[in-house]
Amino acid sequence: MATASKHKEPKQASGLMPRSQMPLRTLMIAMTVMCYLACLAIGALVLITRAVNDWSSDISGEVTVQIRPSDDVKMSDKLVVIADILDKTAGVSSYKILDKKAGAKLLEPWLGNADILDQLPVPRLVAVSIDQNKLPDFDKLAAELKSQVTGASLDTHRRWQAELTRMGNSLVRLGVGVLVLITISAIALVIFASRTALDANRQVVEVLHLVGASDPFIARQVQWQFLWAGLQSGLIGVLVGMATFILLGISSGGPASSGLADASYGLLIGTPEVTSVTYLLFLLVPIVATLLCLVAARLAIMRILSNAI
Amino acid sequence: MNRPSSIVSLQNIGLRYGKGREVLRDINLDLEPGSFHFLTGPSGAGKTSLLRLLFLTKKPTRGLISMFGKDMATLSRRNMPKIRRRIGVVFQDFRLLDHLTTYENIALPLRVAGQKPKDYRDNVVELLNWVGLAEYADVYPPVLSGGEKQRVAIARAVITQPDLLLADEPTGNVDPAMALRLLRLFAELNKFGTTIVIATHDSHLIAKAKRPVLVLNDGQLEHN
Repeated sequence: MATASKHKEPKQASGLMPRSQMPLRTLMIAMTVMCYLACLAIGALVLITRAVNDWSSDISGEVTVQIRPSDDVKMSDKLVVIADILDKTAGVSSYKILDKKAGAKLLEPWLGNADILDQLPVPRLVAVSIDQNKLPDFDKLAAELKSQVTGASLDTHRRWQAELTRMGNSLVRLGVGVLVLITISAIALVIFASRTALDANRQVVEVLHLVGASDPFIARQVQWQFLWAGLQSGLIGVLVGMATFILLGISSGGPASSGLADASYGLLIGTPEVTSVTYLLFLLVPIVATLLCLVAARLAIMRILSNAI
Repeated sequence: MNRPSSIVSLQNIGLRYGKGREVLRDINLDLEPGSFHFLTGPSGAGKTSLLRLLFLTKKPTRGLISMFGKDMATLSRRNMPKIRRRIGVVFQDFRLLDHLTTYENIALPLRVAGQKPKDYRDNVVELLNWVGLAEYADVYPPVLSGGEKQRVAIARAVITQPDLLLADEPTGNVDPAMALRLLRLFAELNKFGTTIVIATHDSHLIAKAKRPVLVLNDGQLEHN
């Protein structure tokens, strides 16, 4: 019997579209960068959202009573009246009268540690902690303080809170905008790569059509290779992104340090409450990258083929 | 007596490329099922253009083409593969896929049709033997000679036993003995009902086969 009769079908039949002629490596590099940027944007979004929530919570949990000195009433008398008012106000969980030194310390960054502070009419401050579940009537409290104590005023930090929230929301919108731009760029990349893949395999596509291949059959030959490229890019991009946040944390002294480094570290190696959200969002990156590669490639290829012979 | 309906019908076909002159003019042709024709004519007469119309890679500028009872002008893209699977094509330049082995090239139409490898393996091996390429089953086209590529292209075209076989100079790169052997293969297929159109310059082959000849001259068709 001839040699061919002993021919054994290879376990894995050759792909009908040669991988070597597809821009898969270029696509993978570009998609990995996109996924990495998406990862950074997601991390930044989580950091901003957390920071704004923390700051808002800190600010909204405390109000300040400010008492300006006056000639007619002694400051100690004013403080007694204020303490009395605060004791009687529902929703005030505690308060702390800051001494004159503490007030002067707050002004130190601007005026320096000079004796002149003793001679200036520096206002006295009372830090009031409030019960978040049972907020006091701020308008009533402010009116009471104003009427009973000369020079007393209540600062609820509402303006700061509103500005902080506005800034936080703007940053979140910016982050989401960056993610949308990354997604659009990734789609454009996949479409361009699909077109290049078909151009490079024009003769293969023509032969497949002539032997009776349908457009969906030809699209399948390309789309699965793009799917793998998307999955690999997504995983690499996320791993590098996670490594970046961890390095950012470690490079500044680890979890004990503060600020951005601490927050970055806390994203991935922190409380489960935070890390679960981070990991879930990071997990979405390779999933979205894979689906995006599959769907965008499929649609692009079907559209290009519809204009072929 | 009922005349069998044509497998291919061309009516008043005209074809031009871009704004140039018509390369095919007023072509009228009916191919009956099981017929065997040669298509000949001087170079540039339009043989390849006519074949392109028949294997559906070109649309006529005017006129009607009907294949297997379907009007090609109204055939949807979705149904085009069904028609193409009934047509085997041998190209003058072979059009083998260089990244597939000889075996895989020949099996391509069956793979595209969704058949399982174990179901078509014997057929492919038998055909490989028939065209004398049994030893080249695992060889890639770039290392084959012109004649060997020609035979692979023919094997790929006939593996599905198509209803219509269109061949453009199928014996142009093989020696006379192999040409006759391939002619016998075409005749064998024809016996089993395949309609065959072979475009060739080979007058010896035409004389040997004793089949009807279509002559294209300056874009117009004459029946001999």
